[in-house]
Amino acid sequence: MIINHPLLGPRDSEEFVYLGSADLINRPTNWESEEAAEDFYQYLYIRENIAGDNRELWYHEQGDQSWLVVTRCTLTHEIKSVELAQDVSRAQGRSK
Amino acid sequence: MSDYTMVKESPLGGAEHEFDGVTVSEVVDQSLVMIAMPNGEAENIEAAMNKACGLSVPAMGQSTQSSDGSVTLWRLQKNQVMAYYAYEGDDAEANIAERIDAPSAYYTDQSDTWAMIRVSGERSRDILERICPIDLDPNVFTLGSVSRTIMEHIGTVIYRDGDDSYVLLTMRSFGRSMLHAIEVSVENVL
Repeated sequence: MIINHPLLGPRDSEEFVYLGSADLINRPTNWESEEAAEDFYQYLYIRENIAGDNRELWYHEQGDQSWLVVTRCTLTHEIKSVELAQDVSRAQGRSK
Repeated sequence: MSDYTMVKESPLGGAEHEFDGVTVSEVVDQSLVMIAMPNGEAENIEAAMNKACGLSVPAMGQSTQSSDGSVTLWRLQKNQVMAYYAYEGDDAEANIAERIDAPSAYYTDQSDTWAMIRVSGERSRDILERICPIDLDPNVFTLGSVSRTIMEHIGTVIYRDGDDSYVLLTMRSFGRSMLHAIEVSVENVL
């Protein structure tokens, strides 16, 4: 499987490690509120089991050590887009 | 109590092996210093190093050279460059900081943490294509290209420093394993 890294071009998947759903970017920040327990439960354990395009986090461990958001079809394993997780996070209004 | 003295030694003891069409040798005369560019400082740093020795910040996966050709910069990550240059002193960090003259950058000497092995000769690509997942086609991985990847499960930086010459860098403790991997590839190919 080849992942087309946005900065480095096509790279073998052997260079990467897989973390899981890209939802892991959205860690709840309301840890002091009443809903925190429920929100963290949702964040940590509840996942959609998608048959189709799935957004997931990959880490380029044996490369430039960047985190990527990879959109992969779970039915065909086709990789449809690869973005830097940093850019995705900034687009959602975070500073880092 | 005995008086101990430290003896300077390269990671592979200056290993050098000649084969038919390929030479595998340790690189012992080069220093490597990481130059980190803090957020918002990249332009100032580039302007300073350009003024001091004609260096520019290379594109990702590429390298640039100073106007006298003595310092090569590699770009492997967004916010840092690596200075690879012939220097055998023990103070590479201070030495390169003075030559590049960009005080807002952060310098870290990494010379002794890497084992550097040069694979050169007309059959060098035949040897490397068995272990390197990067496309080494001469028109793709052009002269001066640099990349970090994995070879035989070992994290490796590969730099093309000649038409048929490549320098491989692995962590010092993996140097002998890398040398072995190359030698096995030589046996398999030649």
